Amino acid sequence: MTGKLIKSLVPPPKWRVVVVVLAGIITGLSFYAIYAGKAWSYLSDAPETCVNCHIMAPQYATWQHSSHREVAHCNDCHVPHDNIFRTYLFKAKDGMRHASMFTLRLEPQNIFIKEEGTEVVQENCIRCHSGLITDNKLLAQTSVFHQKFEDRLCWDCHREVPHGRVKSLSSTPYARVPMLKSPVPEWIKSNKK
Amino acid sequence: MKYMNSESKKRSPWVNLSLFSLTVIAVFILGWFVSTISERRAEALFAYKPKVQLADFEPRNEVWGKNYPWQYESYRKTQETDFHTPHGGNAMKDVLSENPEMVVLWAGYGFSKDYNQGRGHSYAIDDIHNTLRTAGPKAPDDGPMPSTCWTCKGPDVPRMMNQLGSPAAFYAGKWAKHGEEVVNAIGCADCHDATTMDLTITRPALVEAFEAMGKDISKATHQEMRSLVCAQCHVEYYFNNQNKEERPNYLTFPWVNGYGPEEMLKYYDDIKFSDWTHSISKAPMLKAQHPDYEVYTTGIHAERGVSCADCHMPYVSEGGLKYSNHHVTSPLKYVSQACQTCHRESEATLLKNVYDRQNKVAELRNKAEELLTRAHVEAKVAWDNNASEAEMKDILYEIRAGQWFWDYVAASHGGSFHSPVESSRVLGKAIDHAQNARIQLARLLATKGLTKEIPYPDLSTKEKAQEYIGLPMEKLKQEKDVFLKEIVPVWKKKAAEREAKMDLVLN
Repeated sequence: MTGKLIKSLVPPPKWRVVVVVLAGIITGLSFYAIYAGKAWSYLSDAPETCVNCHIMAPQYATWQHSSHREVAHCNDCHVPHDNIFRTYLFKAKDGMRHASMFTLRLEPQNIFIKEEGTEVVQENCIRCHSGLITDNKLLAQTSVFHQKFEDRLCWDCHREVPHGRVKSLSSTPYARVPMLKSPVPEWIKSNKK
Repeated sequence: MKYMNSESKKRSPWVNLSLFSLTVIAVFILGWFVSTISERRAEALFAYKPKVQLADFEPRNEVWGKNYPWQYESYRKTQETDFHTPHGGNAMKDVLSENPEMVVLWAGYGFSKDYNQGRGHSYAIDDIHNTLRTAGPKAPDDGPMPSTCWTCKGPDVPRMMNQLGSPAAFYAGKWAKHGEEVVNAIGCADCHDATTMDLTITRPALVEAFEAMGKDISKATHQEMRSLVCAQCHVEYYFNNQNKEERPNYLTFPWVNGYGPEEMLKYYDDIKFSDWTHSISKAPMLKAQHPDYEVYTTGIHAERGVSCADCHMPYVSEGGLKYSNHHVTSPLKYVSQACQTCHRESEATLLKNVYDRQNKVAELRNKAEELLTRAHVEAKVAWDNNASEAEMKDILYEIRAGQWFWDYVAASHGGSFHSPVESSRVLGKAIDHAQNARIQLARLLATKGLTKEIPYPDLSTKEKAQEYIGLPMEKLKQEKDVFLKEIVPVWKKKAAEREAKMDLVLN
């Protein structure tokens, strides 16, 4: 079945050169897309990846000025961590959505988290801060478990954590998100000694 | 041919057509995707719309302010002088009046004339004009201080270094040489690249100090840069005269062995450097400048990755807007923005935590001051009773080391909070060296028949202390008045004329 399908795609010898060239063009274009979009960086956990697309600058800048920057990167909160398949499935789904919205220029002025993302972030708050809502000595939940755990989201009260309350595209007009080069100016390099 | 014909005949033209169309669509989408990435990359570079073009080395802060109004407005708040804390704040404090012992500790050196807790960055130029330490030069080659003293005073410095061709050409000559040139106070171009706004190093001494330690400052991360731009000035330094002909008074950080107080003292001992000879004890003294960065790196905040800017330039919200507050001052002025980003305790608790640490370190510091003063006074008595150079050599070194360790803490702005444990440790060493000097002095004086306590001079006020070390204060103040009335207005006028000719290119 597969053999037959492949065979049916093989072009007649007269067309082979043209097809090979065209296939090369398509492959080359794909490589360029990978390079221009820094596709490999999306496999990493580096927060700089999330500002590849500059509309995430306010999110990066607010995180980078918050206390969470020392302990948690974007993916620690915004991607599920209970199993690796779910992690990458979620990442892929999110990535597809972001790429299509950005390409079609459909991104809103104020970016709000979607319901699926909300659940993931809440899971991740608990992943790190479970000590606050369970009693380790009794291996049981504390009396405030229901109130604090099931009834509401952490950031319903902790509203400034970690991005602050205002997150519009224009809220951090001059934030320096990483596009850094060498900090030593040429004239110092050349004038020295 | 025959085979081929039969093959192509087998495939329906619809299959070929749809294969073709699908490929067209795929390539079209791929191409579109790639081109939008490139477009929006370019767009990111124009995310904000600057009003004026900033030339390289643009020294005028108000010109930068046209492009960055919020940052500039907050920077202008460094003009405020309304905030006092027990050990700091943004108002000018006469440190010598608060601690008259310091007059004796610095006898024979400029700091005994006048030493104030500095005001905000905006006042850098005014305050260096006003201090008695720069005296009253009447001509460009007159006065006690070298050009190097301007190095940290504002963005005109990198401009002039570039214009003169090298840092050495800038450092050469007397302080009054650059009076007409350095007129803009510490500001934008001291830390920012005019094109990209990235943080940048504009003072060669820091780059050279990193090289001397075998480190490459260009590898610094953004977070490290948020402290290193401050470390261009808020560090211990000295004026290097090892190559007096070509590079006089060359600004150098003594960091070759590292930047702990022991390593820097060893560096100075190895090159037999002293800032001055003490006029009372004749000890070869060192003046610690302000090792703020060095002390900060030993503290818990630095260890946890917190930069200078995190507390001294916290992120603030104003309406819907967020920006880094350029009102650089004591973070105790805005505890909620500076401390409570990480610490959830009440403001009162946090203030108490800071003051507790500062008060305890100050306790040790005051003790060290008294002991060092006694050591200087007792050394003078030894000289007066015909002590020999050989007898005094080790004693004078103990005084030098003790005062260096004391000054390392005393001169460090905020050091007692930045690193209370290190500050206390170093003050412990200061007290130890001072007492060592005094034990040896007691033994020496005993051989001269002096076994009673040497009387402690009356140092209850700055004036009494200055009289004790024999400073002609009236003359110094008079010189300064003439300088401020006659020379400074000329500098300002010439600078204004020069700047009026500078371009302002609107976008």
